[in-house]
Amino acid sequence: MTDLSVAVGGLVLKNPVIAASGTFGFGAEYARLYDVSVLGGICTKGLTLRPRQGNPPPRLWETPCGLLNSIGLENPGVDAFIEEELPRMRQLGTRLIANVWGETPQEYRKLAGRLSRSDVDAVELNLSCPNVPGGKIRGSFPEEVARIVGLCRRVCEKPLWVKLPPEGDVLGSARAAERAGADAITASNTFRALAIDIGRGRPVFAGRIGGLSGPAIKPIALRVVYELSREVDVPVIGCGGIVSWEDAVEFIMAGAHAVQVGTGNFIDPLCIPKLIRGLEDFLAGRGLKDWEGIRGCAH
Amino acid sequence: MDKVSVRRAKVFENREVAPDVFLLQVEGAFSALPGQFCMLRAWELDPPLFRPMSVFDLGPSTISFLYKVRGRGTGLLSRLSPGDKLTVLGPLGNGWEGAEGRVALVGGGMGIAPLLLAAKAHPQAHVYLGFPGKPYLVERFREVAGKVYVTSETGEGGERGLVSDLFSPQGYSTCFACGPLGMLKAIAKKCREVGVPLYVSLEERMACGLGACLGCTILTVRGPKRVCQDGPVFCAEEVLWDD
Repeated sequence: MTDLSVAVGGLVLKNPVIAASGTFGFGAEYARLYDVSVLGGICTKGLTLRPRQGNPPPRLWETPCGLLNSIGLENPGVDAFIEEELPRMRQLGTRLIANVWGETPQEYRKLAGRLSRSDVDAVELNLSCPNVPGGKIRGSFPEEVARIVGLCRRVCEKPLWVKLPPEGDVLGSARAAERAGADAITASNTFRALAIDIGRGRPVFAGRIGGLSGPAIKPIALRVVYELSREVDVPVIGCGGIVSWEDAVEFIMAGAHAVQVGTGNFIDPLCIPKLIRGLEDFLAGRGLKDWEGIRGCAH
Repeated sequence: MDKVSVRRAKVFENREVAPDVFLLQVEGAFSALPGQFCMLRAWELDPPLFRPMSVFDLGPSTISFLYKVRGRGTGLLSRLSPGDKLTVLGPLGNGWEGAEGRVALVGGGMGIAPLLLAAKAHPQAHVYLGFPGKPYLVERFREVAGKVYVTSETGEGGERGLVSDLFSPQGYSTCFACGPLGMLKAIAKKCREVGVPLYVSLEERMACGLGACLGCTILTVRGPKRVCQDGPVFCAEEVLWDD
């Protein structure tokens, strides 16, 4: 009997497949299509202290095999999430990871503190949103990462995951996060990227820079995971362009303990359940009981 | 929430009804309310997103969509032949419940697409169709609607001009409109002036179609709303038109 379950960042997941923040709403949206209890976990839409309206349209722009987004963290705010969304989400039968974004280190601390007292299973610090005007990509700077993760660690008893950008001093940031008490590193968020409307001679997004995701970034995201997983002892959760079970196996072979699927949900709304079945068949086909013999084997 | 499905279906017909405008008929028993849409794709990874399309018509064993070739996705759709497979996600969105009394349905350009189902649900409705050039599919509307008015910017096959200029909401109890933003704004202004409620079907780029990604959010007097899930049909008075 194959066992897909994984222990990752202070949680046991029934399988290593997690819906990435911002692509799966609060779960109920996809529950109209399939039983989302099959998932290993769901990362919520990025939550902030106060509600945010997000960026003006357009918020989406397609590129070859890629998707640029500039949503701008539209969300109802952490309090409304805890009161209204979380009780519903809790019934979905999977692990819930609250993804949070703070304008300042102190905001991260407040968010982590509030969620630590809530019914979520873990908190993922989004240190890498490219879509907030003037927002600094804090995850690119190890000192910033150390400060924020340290502040949150003191107030958060739940497992603390840190989602880093794929750019900047990623290895330094990951080491800093680990030293400051992170339980896992999610690598990575979208790539800062640009599209220009040549008719207007202006960037297509009001916020100019957007975040690139999708199959176009997979080889780069895979390389980041490959390098990171050698550098830190905490589990790495791979994210970036995963669409198929083969993609997920590549990330696990590169050293990931789990994977997050984001844009894949838009390419195929049934991407995650298909991917989980594929992983099951893969392990069974190889006569493997679990992931131990596979994880990091490409090093 | 309503039942949504994602399924593979077979193309029955994909006919060019005007230059670059196609009527795609797909086999299968589907359901949809007037104003609802489906997400379509007939390719693997690229382009990454489905294409949202209003449901044009429903038969006992077919569903059809009317679309204009605008980019890569619609270009790929236009090359589908009978028997080819595509993926249909839907029905999506709130749809338009309809209304009692004298109803006017106003469509401009591709905005005529959701009007046929609405006309079938309101057999007494007056339908206003605006075309950039030679009109198409008008007979389909005449078969089901109380009265059909046709305008075209070139004057071919109808009254010359824009449907938003020629349409007057006076005397109607409710209006439903779909089309380019400029047209919708003009009709919203006319309806406001005479106090006739107007519902508009809006369009925005969307990734998931299910309300999860927040890619298609617009601002309304009730805060940010998702075109795919809270819409695509909105009460015009609630939309914050960006002027």
